[in-house]
Order: sequence, then C-alpha cells, then structure tokens
Amino acid sequence: MSKQEFSNIYFDQVAVGDTLPQLEIEITPTLIVSTAIASRDYQDVHHDRVRAQELGSPDIFMNILTSNGLVGRYVTDWAGPEAILVSVNIRLGAPNYPGDTMVMSAEVTAKREEQGRYLVDLAVAGKNKLGVHVSGTVIVDLPNSAA
Amino acid sequence: MPKEQAEFEAGMQAHVERGEKGVKTSWDEVNLPMVRHWVQAMDDNNPVYTDAEFAAGTRHGGLVAPPTMLQAWTMKGVKDQAPGSSTTDPMADVFDALTEAGYPAVVATNCEQTYLRYVKPGEKLHHTYRLESISGEKKTGLGIGYFITQLMEYFTEDEEKVAEMRFTILRYKPAQREPKRPPRARPGMTRDTEFFWQGLHEDNKLLIQRCLSCGQLRHPPAPMCPHCQSLQHDTVEASGKATLYSHVTMHHPPLPAFEYPNTIALVELEEGTRLLAGLIDIDRDELEIGMPLQLEIVRCDDELSVPMFRRAS
Amino acid sequence: MSATSSGNGFANQAAIVGIGATEFSKASGRSELQLAAECVIDALTDAGIDPAEVDGISTFKSDNNPESEVHRIIGGRNLKFFSRVDYGGGAACAVVMQAAMAIATGVCEVVVVYRAFNERSQYRYGTGESHKTASHNYDGATRAWGGVHGLVSPASNVAMSATRYMYEYGASSEDFGRYCVLARKYAANNPKAWFYQKPITLEDHQTSRWIVEPLRLLDCCQESDGGVALVITSAERARKLRQTPALIRAASQGSCDDQHMMTSYYRENIAHLPEMKLVADQLWEMSGLQPGDMQYATIYDHFSPYVFQQLEALGYCGLGQARDFIREGQLELDGSLPTNTHGGQLGEAYIHGVNGIAEAVRQIRGSSCNQVKKVENAVVTAGTGVPTSGLILGQI
Repeated sequence: MSKQEFSNIYFDQVAVGDTLPQLEIEITPTLIVSTAIASRDYQDVHHDRVRAQELGSPDIFMNILTSNGLVGRYVTDWAGPEAILVSVNIRLGAPNYPGDTMVMSAEVTAKREEQGRYLVDLAVAGKNKLGVHVSGTVIVDLPNSAA
Repeated sequence: MPKEQAEFEAGMQAHVERGEKGVKTSWDEVNLPMVRHWVQAMDDNNPVYTDAEFAAGTRHGGLVAPPTMLQAWTMKGVKDQAPGSSTTDPMADVFDALTEAGYPAVVATNCEQTYLRYVKPGEKLHHTYRLESISGEKKTGLGIGYFITQLMEYFTEDEEKVAEMRFTILRYKPAQREPKRPPRARPGMTRDTEFFWQGLHEDNKLLIQRCLSCGQLRHPPAPMCPHCQSLQHDTVEASGKATLYSHVTMHHPPLPAFEYPNTIALVELEEGTRLLAGLIDIDRDELEIGMPLQLEIVRCDDELSVPMFRRAS
Repeated sequence: MSATSSGNGFANQAAIVGIGATEFSKASGRSELQLAAECVIDALTDAGIDPAEVDGISTFKSDNNPESEVHRIIGGRNLKFFSRVDYGGGAACAVVMQAAMAIATGVCEVVVVYRAFNERSQYRYGTGESHKTASHNYDGATRAWGGVHGLVSPASNVAMSATRYMYEYGASSEDFGRYCVLARKYAANNPKAWFYQKPITLEDHQTSRWIVEPLRLLDCCQESDGGVALVITSAERARKLRQTPALIRAASQGSCDDQHMMTSYYRENIAHLPEMKLVADQLWEMSGLQPGDMQYATIYDHFSPYVFQQLEALGYCGLGQARDFIREGQLELDGSLPTNTHGGQLGEAYIHGVNGIAEAVRQIRGSSCNQVKKVENAVVTAGTGVPTSGLILGQI
C-alpha cells in the first residue's frame, strides 16, 4: 500500500455547508459479529440470533461501539490520515439489523482556529430503512495547508 | 410527586453528589493485533493505525490506535474484568433501586467521547467511572424513565488523562404498548351504502340518508323510502350528538383486530336514527342507557374510518 | 288483536308422521350429506314409508345438502317439489309449512324435511368467520354496520336486544339463568342429549364466563354436528301409518316492523319480537286455538333472553313478565306450559330447531323422555331475531 493513495483534506479547503460524499455500509451478520468481537463486546444480542429473538429483536444488531467506530471511520476516510479526531458525540436511534444498508452522510457546520488547532465541526448521520441509526457531531482537527 | 418517588429521586441525587468512583483496568496494553482486528472488522483503511512507516511521516509521529476504539481496551471481555478493577460496582445500588422502583428496562441513548490525544501501542489504560447526573423523570417514546449519565475518564499508567467519555442510558418503565393489530375487516358496500363509508373516511362526516320526497331520515340506508317509495335521496350530516340506546360487551370470539373486552353501542342520534358504534374512554361500569354521547370519527387505517362516541362533556 | 288474513286452507290437512335423527356430537366424523341421508332414512323408517315414495323436499337455505342429491342417494324416484326457506333457524317451522302447503294443494304426497350439518367440527357460527372478508352485496353491506366494530356473532346480535330488555323490564342475568337450568335439567334425563346427565345449577350459570355481556356461556346454545329429519304426508294417509300422527293444525311465517336479519335495531322497541307476534297471531287464528290450549311448547332457544321475548309474543305473559312466568315454574313438567323437554338447543343439540319439532311430535305421541301427561296440542317456534315461523301440532 503506497502513501500516495491517501490524500488529505486541509482546513482552508473546507467551507461551512460542505457535504461529505455519502458512504453506504451493508449491514451483514459478519460485520455485526466481527466488529462486536473486535470491540470485545460479547453481549449475546450482537452474535446470537436465537437469543436476540428471545429478547424480542428480529435478529442480532450492531453494538454501540461499532456505530461510534463507523462514524469515526467515515470522517477520517474523508479527511485523510493527517486528521485527528477530537471528539465523537453520538445519539443512538433505530437498530442496525442484518440485511439493511446504512447510508452515512455529513455536513460541515462550523470551522474555527482554537489554540493553534484548526477545528471543523461535522454533523453526521447514518440512516437505515428503519430510520436514523446514529446521528451526532464530530470535531476533527485538520492540517492547515498554509501552516 | 408522591413522597416515595421524591425520596427515591433524592437518594439518587445524593449518590451523584457523593461522586463515588469505580475503576476498570485493561488486560493488555494497547497493541497492534487488536488494532488490526478492529480496523479489518470496521473496514477502516487509515494507514496510521497499522503502517508504522507511514504513520511516522504524519502528524501522529508513529502508530496510533483508532481513537473510537477507546472502550475496547478496558472492556470486560468474555469472562472477567482485568485485575485491579473495582470488585464492587459503586453504581449497583442505583441500578437496583431503579429496578425496584419499576424502571427495569435499559437502552443506551448517547455516547460522547473526547480524545485529549491518540493512544499508542504499548500504553496501558485504565478508566475511572462515576455517576455524573440523573435527570428528573421523563416521558419518552419508550416509556417513563430517567436518563443516567456516567462519566468515564481514561488514563495511562502514569495517570495522564487521555480521554473521557459520557455514556447516557435511559432506565425506563416500558410503556404499555398496544400490540400490533391486524386491520379491521373492510366493510362490504353496495351502491346504497358506500356514501356512508366515504363520508366518514374522506370527508370526516357522519351522514344520514334523507328521502328527498318526504324528508324522512333513514339508517341503515336503502334505495327506496319505506314511507313514500321515493327513489330520490340525499344526505344530511349528523350533528354528532347522541344518547346511548343499548350496548354489549364482546368477550368472544376474540378477533385480532380488536381489544377485549370490546364494548359496542347502539346509539340514538339527535336526528332520530340509530347507529352501531364503538365507544372511547367509557368504562363499561359507567355505561348508562340514555347517557349523552358525542361523536368522534376515528381513522382506523388508510382505508377505513368508523364512527365512535365518547361521553358528552 | 288486529285481524290477520292468513287462510286456513292447509290447516289440519297434513301431519308429521316420521321423525329421525343421527346422534348429536361435536365431531360427526362423516360428511354432512351422509348425516342428511342417515336422518332422512331414519325418519322414513320411523314412518314406515319407502324412500322411493318421497316426492317432495323442503329444507333450509343454509343447508349445504342439495335436495336433488339427498333424494337421489336415498333412492328417491320422482321429486316434484323442492323448496328452501331463508333466515337461518327462522326457517325451522316454515319448512314444515311449505310441506303442509304442498301436500294440501296436491303438489306431492310425501315430503321430507331435513337439516344436517357439521356446525361444530367444520365451521362454527359463533366465530364471526363470515365477517372476515367483505362481500359487496346486500349481506356484506348489512354485516358491515356492526362488523367494523367487532359485533360479529349471533350472540352479540342478540345481546344488544337483551341489554335493552333488561333495562326496559328489569330482567336479570339470574332470570335468564333460570331457563338455562331448566333446559339442562330436561337434557340431563334425555340420553340423546349432549348434556345427558349433566345438569347445572343457577350458580354454575352465574359463574360461567361472559361470551357477550349480558350473555354468559350457559345462556348460549351449543354448536353441534348432526342431522334431524321429518316426514310429512296427508292427514288421511297419516291415519293409516304406524305412528301416532302429529297433525299440522297451523303454520305461519312472519317478518314485520322494520325487520332486519339479526339486527332489528332500528324499530321503536328492540326488546320484543313483533315478528313472532305476527307468527303467533296467525297460528291462533288458523288453528282456532288459544295459548291456554297448548299442553307443550318448543320455544327456539339459541340464546336464553329470546325465550323470554317469545313467551311474551305468544301471549303467555305480558311484555317483561316472562321472568315471573318462568320463576313460577310454568315451564316445568307440572307447570302450565312444559317447554323444551328434550333439553332445548342449550341441552340437547343445536340442529337449527328441527330437533325441537321432533320433540313436539314425541310429546304428541307420548314418547318423550320427559313426557307431559297428555298433549293434545303443542306450539313450536323457530329462530328469532330474524324473519321467523311457528307451528301448532296436535292429535288427529
């Protein structure tokens, strides 16, 4: 993998109101199970369909740590490897069940220089066919090309 | 607010004010194998997590762990919490009290992570946790309950704080949800009766057929006036005022479209005709023949509206 | 009494000369057609008439067995009269009226009446099944008035009238229960009854579960599998046959006063049965008899409150007074009007009232399990809450 494949977004390239390209994530059982285990979350509802159904869900569903991780990934996929996540604040909604597709989108809502850092606020949402799975705000520290 | 509930809430607030902390440690230091597992599962191709040479040339200055992976390091895992973790949960009594007070159900609602810096392979993390706030009793779509926010603060072995997380859950009394019911049977209609159902559904009106020749009102509708044999008729809109003429309460057969016991009324409209109708918010012990009622047209679904009545105020 | 204009042309012209039945069960284990054939042959054997002689059939519109097919498989030759009457159990006496008229006018000589169904094991009237799909015809449009609210069963239709009857006249659930206890007492002594040797107490009635308030489980007739048949021929021939004939002294039908099928909710007073009054007035006029001339009655008992309203319509008591009439024991064997001695449809079986006609025939023959001392005349009614019918049977 060569370094040239990764480009970065610079602070002065970003304007409030810019939207990020959408990202579609297919919600497969493999995604739900592998991310739950990678986050060391062994709650049965994230890997055991029978148990999930006993507890009233139609199927296994994605854990919160993964939703959080996918929000972070979505932002750094766009911003590039120089970006530094400052905070990820999410609100949780409709579950992600297998067979669904989550479409992620985001918009730049603010940008500012703060204590030598160039910060951009993004309003992020991930929607599936049941509604909004996750929504929230990510603050990312971007390199400033002028610096 | 009942006294018991006030005491219960005060007890929880006292807990918040005490600020009692627990601690959770990690089994392993931040490490590349766990990171690799994570980024593969998440399909996150950012090279700063796994490509040491690349990472060294970035602002990160070397490999870092994905910041959103924060919780994974101190998670309990399949079996036990890592040694050095609190053996008793300082918040257990709050959760027990909530269960006892009738708020057993739980759902996570918010997660706010702030990263003071990215952590690097080799650093060993632990975090403290405490109850930061408890809301007043709130009505939510799921049911009545309390929002409870925990504050977790993450540190390295030399007690450098690297991140914090606020994690909010709702502990609630599950709302008595209406079980999902199949739709009511569609009414059979003929050219003589369809105006009645259309009037209810499309115009939100209860219509009574009227003979254009002798002026008699009639229900159920019919093509001919029994009084003067006229075939000419129109409709008048019912005022909605009525009295209870008779009633039954269905227990059997239980049809899935209805809730049982199901009380059905025969009402006498102010205009003089009678009508079968459902009742709203009237206990069957309160039913009294002759009691005044007021129409409410209820939209059952996209195709059907039915006349129902509530006690007239 | 307003003058009624029913002719008496067929009074005393025909008689019931044979009765037959299958067993009464909850699962017959055979086709409805077989039940029909079995009970028809049983009745013909009882009468001593060869199946080949059957030249007329009269049955219910709601029966699933075609007249021509029943006639074919019992070995009939020439079927000259076949007729059906609508309105569920309201047809019970009307099918006999059809037979009597056909015989009196010389259309045919031997008419068989049958009602045979697997009403318990194959379909149940009490389930509200028929309301599930919308029929865009008169019937579907009429069912819709109550159907959209869940008013879907015969019990619920009757209960609406019962609530108003209780309100108007102060009758109680216990009053209804007294009839039910009596019916079950008679059934307990009838080996053919489903509830043979199973009497109930008033407390059993009062603690039985609600079906549709104000009706409890024990206010409702059974749901049954089975068949009952009658053989009707001329009075002249009846005299020569082996059984004591039950002469058809009168028969009538009635529909009036803003009548609807099961939901006559729009007439001025829904706590009485004007259609049964119309039937009764014709019966008394046609027969020249009066209520006091009856030694026995079969009163159609699909739901107990309508027994009360029928006794009032027949003239045995004033409106709202049937509860006293029953409490006084007038329907007991030693009362003024022993009623439903087979156990009724609550106790014996629900065969749309034809089993009650057979019981009236047995009372005239002197062969009932709960025999009344001497029955000269008996009155029989059909299903109520619908356009209905009635009969007076008597000794020749």
